[in-house]
Amino acid sequence: MNSRAVAAAAPGQGESSLLQLLPLLWRQWQHHPWRHALLVLAVMLGVALAYSVQLINDSALSEFDAAARAAEGEPDFSLRARSGALDEALLDRLRLQPGVRQASPVVEAETYAQAQAHMDAGHTAGTAAAAARVPVRVLGVDALALSEVALQLMPRPAADEGRLAVLDPGAAFVSAAARQRLALADGDAIALQHGSGWQRLRVAGSVAAGGGPLVVIDVAAAQQLFGLPGRLSRIDVRLQPGQDAQALLQALALPADVRASTGAQASQRLATLSRAYRINLAVLALVALFVGGFLVFSVVSLSVAQRTPALALLGVLGLTARRRRQLVLVESTLLGLIGSALGLLLGAALAALMLRVLGGDLGGGFFAGVTAPPLALRSGPVGVYALLGVATAIAGAWLPARRAERLVPAQALKGMGLEGDPGNDAAERSARQTRALGLLLLAASGGLALLPPLAGVPLAAYASVAALLLAGVALVPTVVALLLHSRGDPQQALVLLARRRAQHQRATASATVATVVTSLALAVALTVMVASFRASVTSWLDAVLPADLYGRIASSAAADQAWFGAALPAAAARLAGVQRVQAQRVRLISLAPAPPAVTLLARPLPDPEHSLPLVSPVAPARDGEPGAWISEAVATLYGAAPGGTLRLPISEPALRVRVRGVYRDYARQAGSITIDAGDYRRASGDERLNELAIWLEPKADAAAVLADLRASRPEAALLDFATTAELRATSLRIFDRSFAVTSYLQAVAILIGLVGIATSLSAQVLARRKEFGLLAHLGLGRAEVLAIVAGETALWLLAGTAIGLVLGLAIGAILVYVVNPQSFHWTMEMTLPAARLALLCAAVLVTGAAAAAWSARHALSRAAVLAVKEDW
Amino acid sequence: MLQVEALGKHYGEVVVFRDVTLRVAAGEFVALVGESGVGKSTLLNCIAGLDDADAGRIVVDGVDLGQADENARARLRRRQLGFVFQAFHVLPHLSVAENVALPLLLQGRPDAARVEAMLDAVGLAGLGRRAPAQLSGGQLQRVAIARACVHRPRLILADEPTGNLDPVTAARVLALLHEQVREAGAACLLVTHSEAATARADRVLRLTPRGVELCASR
Repeated sequence: MNSRAVAAAAPGQGESSLLQLLPLLWRQWQHHPWRHALLVLAVMLGVALAYSVQLINDSALSEFDAAARAAEGEPDFSLRARSGALDEALLDRLRLQPGVRQASPVVEAETYAQAQAHMDAGHTAGTAAAAARVPVRVLGVDALALSEVALQLMPRPAADEGRLAVLDPGAAFVSAAARQRLALADGDAIALQHGSGWQRLRVAGSVAAGGGPLVVIDVAAAQQLFGLPGRLSRIDVRLQPGQDAQALLQALALPADVRASTGAQASQRLATLSRAYRINLAVLALVALFVGGFLVFSVVSLSVAQRTPALALLGVLGLTARRRRQLVLVESTLLGLIGSALGLLLGAALAALMLRVLGGDLGGGFFAGVTAPPLALRSGPVGVYALLGVATAIAGAWLPARRAERLVPAQALKGMGLEGDPGNDAAERSARQTRALGLLLLAASGGLALLPPLAGVPLAAYASVAALLLAGVALVPTVVALLLHSRGDPQQALVLLARRRAQHQRATASATVATVVTSLALAVALTVMVASFRASVTSWLDAVLPADLYGRIASSAAADQAWFGAALPAAAARLAGVQRVQAQRVRLISLAPAPPAVTLLARPLPDPEHSLPLVSPVAPARDGEPGAWISEAVATLYGAAPGGTLRLPISEPALRVRVRGVYRDYARQAGSITIDAGDYRRASGDERLNELAIWLEPKADAAAVLADLRASRPEAALLDFATTAELRATSLRIFDRSFAVTSYLQAVAILIGLVGIATSLSAQVLARRKEFGLLAHLGLGRAEVLAIVAGETALWLLAGTAIGLVLGLAIGAILVYVVNPQSFHWTMEMTLPAARLALLCAAVLVTGAAAAAWSARHALSRAAVLAVKEDW
Repeated sequence: MLQVEALGKHYGEVVVFRDVTLRVAAGEFVALVGESGVGKSTLLNCIAGLDDADAGRIVVDGVDLGQADENARARLRRRQLGFVFQAFHVLPHLSVAENVALPLLLQGRPDAARVEAMLDAVGLAGLGRRAPAQLSGGQLQRVAIARACVHRPRLILADEPTGNLDPVTAARVLALLHEQVREAGAACLLVTHSEAATARADRVLRLTPRGVELCASR
């Protein structure tokens, strides 16, 4: 090439392409298959866990959505009352309105059903065996007005029923789920609960709608059955083609208490309500991938350290620094791609298995009714998790790739001038930069933790956690240096060797303990969060369960057709052994159209300041103005505060109440409001009751009291009773089940962390075998070399554990004080389970040391004489 | 100081050497030459107790290696042997002085003055605090020689110590090694291909598959 040609050559011209370098990578993989398999495994496990959780939640939500859409149909819009029910007259107006193709009236009710076999024939008062009650959704429909709106709800008469059975007030059409849960056949009797009584109907056929148990009856029969003459829950409207919904609504000039909505509200509300839970679970599932990223960092760091002579040789032979960096990054990207692909497959298989075994519910209880939904495979999440896997591999490999780029080939070939060697100015500068970055991340973490949630999601808090973890890893060398700091030179060879390595091999130190720090920090944080939550729930249960016995007629406040009258608590109060009785009305109310309904609790409140678990100062009562006590969720979601007012849609006009205080309520995530029973009855005229609390005399027998109650009042048989101890145990069992999945994810993170330790140390010992070979020549026995490795490892592990513990406690505080209130709108006190944390740290130290001993023994099995034969 | 009697070594069917017998007295500088692959380095490893011979006997400073366990051999290396390698093998994360001091520290008897004296003796006075990365190849080999002699070993084993050096530097290093061995009154067995090295030796032995032959003696 002449000088002109040289001058004209663009930078990089004449350089090998990355494609041409791929055979080098292939050789490398063949040479160290396990190391690269580990990188693939780290990405695969992380992607699999995160993707499986996403798939399970998506599948459950889409199954619930399908069921809700089937039950609600697909009208252009629905009309509902802001509180209570609609006037039926609106239906006639709609049907006469030009542009309306079909207006379908619906009466909705949540109640209980029983099959004939469990009832006394012809009975209409509640004496049936309570055990056979199955919660059902009842829809009263006009079969003649359904065809355009909700075909899935169309009653399909059985073969021996006439076509007009759809209009028969005594006919019920049941979904497959109801048929299965109640073991019903066509022609059987089915009873629906209204208050404390039962209404018998005949199973006259089926409806196609899926989801939970559903019973469809004629709308007029539903109005009569549930005491709603002339009233409707909603009217579904189908418009003529080309008709604009907004224009029609304007033309209708609806009354102020009527609102129009579109779409499947139930699934939207569930999506909203479960969003924080799903996001938190998704973030938790990403923990494994996050820790996996540090494992990638460890593996690639040590791979680069071990390959330094080869990379230096390539450098001497003309491979540019940029290409060396690209070579490492391309290798990680390819392995990340393989890991991601395998992870997606494993994740889908895991999700399919979990859906089959657990149904759609991972412990949060939001999808408890969704059984074995099909996998909702969508291309979006597949792409996102594949990218996350590859991004993790690239991010983990970035710093080692930069080290490969910065090495000085001539020096590195002689085993000198490596990062961390004394006298390497670039390394010293890089160490200072890393320390500064660590401190900066630490400050950023503090700032991010103070930011409010974004769209209801604590994104800034999660970013704060990530910043804290990265800061911890970046500051590991600084902490180790501090631990080793002492004046004067060590006069003991093993101490000198350990200290000098610790002082100068910062990159190796970070790589070794990065996975320990991250996995332990996250495990500690989750342990602290769960323990704090459990302790707070336990003390909350103590506060909200002061009586000895509790009975309720429905398991959900949504079951508005199951109630009892004042006669039952009055009869209970007269029984021998009963000291005091308190009855409570529980119902759902909507304070705003979009958010999920709030639970209203109406009960006698003689001493609310002591009977409610308050977390706020108490605002004074005002004469003539009913007081209300709100849960933390209501305070956050509706911006209510003590001294302010709320309008409760329990009367016409809505009842204005003065907020007196905020209390803790872990049972109702959408929020609850407690008001005095007298205020409630005066405003709403509603005398219904749903729950009963009974205080017993000191030596009274709960079973005997219950037997007496059931004997004196037949409707008492419809109530499910439990002692305080049973309720407490059940609540904590549900709590533990809810967090079981976090334990599994925590275990995977720890496992990945331990694999990281073993890999790092194993590769380190291999990388240092020449040093150990020299020491053997200088007179060190195998046991002493092992002692060096053990000593250094112990030091790293100790530093990693100390940093992991401190970081974990800080992250725990962020989870307790920021993430939980921002996600679930409730607060808790921070509890430190010292014994469990000590056990966790000890487990990491012991297993880490065992992994180190194993890997060192394994790596040292190569003869020292061979080691010194190799070039540095 | 060193007695090797009828030593044999083989790897499976392949005989490395057999019937090797040699003696090196205190203060003697002996060069061992031979073709590549004839087992010179293996013989040094056997003498150092890092490899086991299949036949024969090795006695170093009165210690029969065949009767010594691993700990005893390690102790012997620590106290009585010094090594110089072709590839320097200076620990990069220790300073020059710390590298030289390592054998003393391993024996639990640090001696800064001795280390200074050794550095001075090998022409590296004032460079003790430097990092190995800041030294040239010749300087690094001088560090290795200082390390091999600092604890006053009775026997120094040197395996191609000038193999990586240019002729001028190699000559200086050899002179230094010779001088240090003489000064310490130690015995030295030097494996080499270098004629310059053999020229400095009291005796030159050739290792062949059939044993050791004397090539030259002064």
